[in-house]
Amino acid sequence: MRLFTNVSKVTSNQNAFRYLIPLGIILFCVLAYFLTTQFDRVPPILKRGMQPSDFPQLIIGLIVMLSIWLLFRDNHKAPKRMTRVVHLSIGLLIGFLIIADVDFFLGLGLFATILSILWGERRAWAIIFVGLFVPFGVFFFFDSVFEVRFPRGLLTNLWYG
Amino acid sequence: MVWVNKMDALLNGLFALADPYLLMLLFAATLGGVLVGALPGLNATTGVALLLPFTITMEPIPAIAILTTIYCAATFAGAITAILINTPGTSASATTCLDGYPLAQRGEAGRALGMAAVSSTIGGIISVVCLMAAAPLLARAAYNFAPPEYFALTVFGLSMLATIGDGSPVKNILSGAFGILLATVGIDLLTSVERFTFDFNELSEGIPFVPVMIGVFGISELLVQADNLNVKRKQVVMKSIRLPSMSDYRKVWKTILRSSGIGTFIGILPAEGATVASMIGYNEAKRWSKTPEEFGNGSIEGIAGSEAANNSATGGAMVPTLALGIPGSPTAAVILAGLMVHGLRPGPTMFTVQADFAYAIFWSMLLVNILFFFLGLWGAKLFARITFVPIQILWPVVFIFSIVGAYALEQSMMDVWIAVGSGILGFYMRRHGFSVVPMAIGLILGGMLETRLGQSMVMLDEKWWLMLTRPLTLFFFILTVMALFGPQVWKYIMKSRSGLQKGNN
Repeated sequence: MRLFTNVSKVTSNQNAFRYLIPLGIILFCVLAYFLTTQFDRVPPILKRGMQPSDFPQLIIGLIVMLSIWLLFRDNHKAPKRMTRVVHLSIGLLIGFLIIADVDFFLGLGLFATILSILWGERRAWAIIFVGLFVPFGVFFFFDSVFEVRFPRGLLTNLWYG
Repeated sequence: MVWVNKMDALLNGLFALADPYLLMLLFAATLGGVLVGALPGLNATTGVALLLPFTITMEPIPAIAILTTIYCAATFAGAITAILINTPGTSASATTCLDGYPLAQRGEAGRALGMAAVSSTIGGIISVVCLMAAAPLLARAAYNFAPPEYFALTVFGLSMLATIGDGSPVKNILSGAFGILLATVGIDLLTSVERFTFDFNELSEGIPFVPVMIGVFGISELLVQADNLNVKRKQVVMKSIRLPSMSDYRKVWKTILRSSGIGTFIGILPAEGATVASMIGYNEAKRWSKTPEEFGNGSIEGIAGSEAANNSATGGAMVPTLALGIPGSPTAAVILAGLMVHGLRPGPTMFTVQADFAYAIFWSMLLVNILFFFLGLWGAKLFARITFVPIQILWPVVFIFSIVGAYALEQSMMDVWIAVGSGILGFYMRRHGFSVVPMAIGLILGGMLETRLGQSMVMLDEKWWLMLTRPLTLFFFILTVMALFGPQVWKYIMKSRSGLQKGNN
């Protein structure tokens, strides 16, 4: 019985994605089209063949047409469920962006460390290598060789003063 | 006089390579390219995208030479893992697995690797020679193109995106159209009006190519790898390198030449890359073989057919990239982005104003084909070991380099956000059958497409239908229609023909 419930769940997910994706794209296009109506218009003498909104509107129209086609003729199988590790990896990426606001290299080091552990690494030297050695190495390499100024933060301030 | 100028540019390009610093860089890039091709999840496109920001501070010749070197070397290196661990390092080597791995299991890994190296080198050299001859001719033909012709040609190039990968053509075009829409972000070049910038100054110059490339090719692959953590790889023991014998060469020389021709031609077609070339090269090798039954069980011809085709596609792909500014493959699209970031204008002027540069790139591609022959052959055993670098170490390190690369170009956190955002978007697109390659190419060509449409409208007094009265423009539009609807029409004809035959029987 449970098997049948799972099968019907997968099928309903497939059907949902089958329609949700094209509908989502069409909704996105409606929003984008609205934004194009807010673009400044230029007088005929300056418009150089097209108004600034013309080309984006043309492309949006094409995307809508193709999405409508997809609504009726998409044969793509729904992908298998994402594993917990993938969900957490995406969460980590978002977490990295938040921590990078505090300190860029703190974000990179933490992301690399947690990702490595999340993916199953347990050896201390490997974790230290990806979480500490590589970010530090990359920072000093780019700072001294390419003269890249990284955004100031908790750790980078220690170096920049 | 034209020939004197051409010879002059050829020699100047060759002399540019005489710089020891550049030669050292090319050697390192070949090594890097072979490593990239052998590492799990990394391929030529990802490798070039990740390396692109690090070449920005260099002079154009070393910068682009490094990118093309990575392209050639990584395409070859896919064969090493295909033969030794039955995992194609790049998708272009998928057909090499079919015969390479069975040969390796029989203890003939060296023979298989030797054949892969020889056919890759010959294929690569033939395609570069074709590139040297064809690109300037194509560029000269394009010299008289007016904006409507360029517009129609770009539309044709984009229409070829429909056939990329094994996904749905509609989804590919949709993805490409989304890329073109992304290219409209920023100040409109024709009217100086801001579009979709949401008051972010960083977006006024448009969405930068490099972070998007890093995101869609690098970070999205990280998420794909997160789903493949349990994949185990097993290496076939390679006791010694036994090179292919003279009888092997006698057996495959026609296959190598045929596949090199196929690969170069497929590479020249916009957007079609090494993967398609290797599939067709392999199929044709099987069709023409006297022993087709050996294919799939360790045929040396199968390896030659696949490898000569995929490496010759690299040179072929650079023909439209340099001569017309239309990328011949996904990796060539990233190289095109590199050219644009360096302020170089691919097109007819590439072979007049920047001829030394163009020929230096050609020579460097020729050199790398010889370099990876030795590196690939004698270092194969070592490179195969690289595959066993745990992805728990490899991908966090790749991520750090990707993010720092995305940031370093403009030193802007907005680029980091764009890289991560396009990585997550690219991952979801790939999950749902949308290839990210058309999106990347759409983003690169979008600006050019809009500018040429605008110029055409000005030229034709805003009567767009007059484009159809221009023979060459009409020709490109017909090609576009054929590229978009030809496969469906062909399928329909074949279906109705087989239906008729069944009815008659």
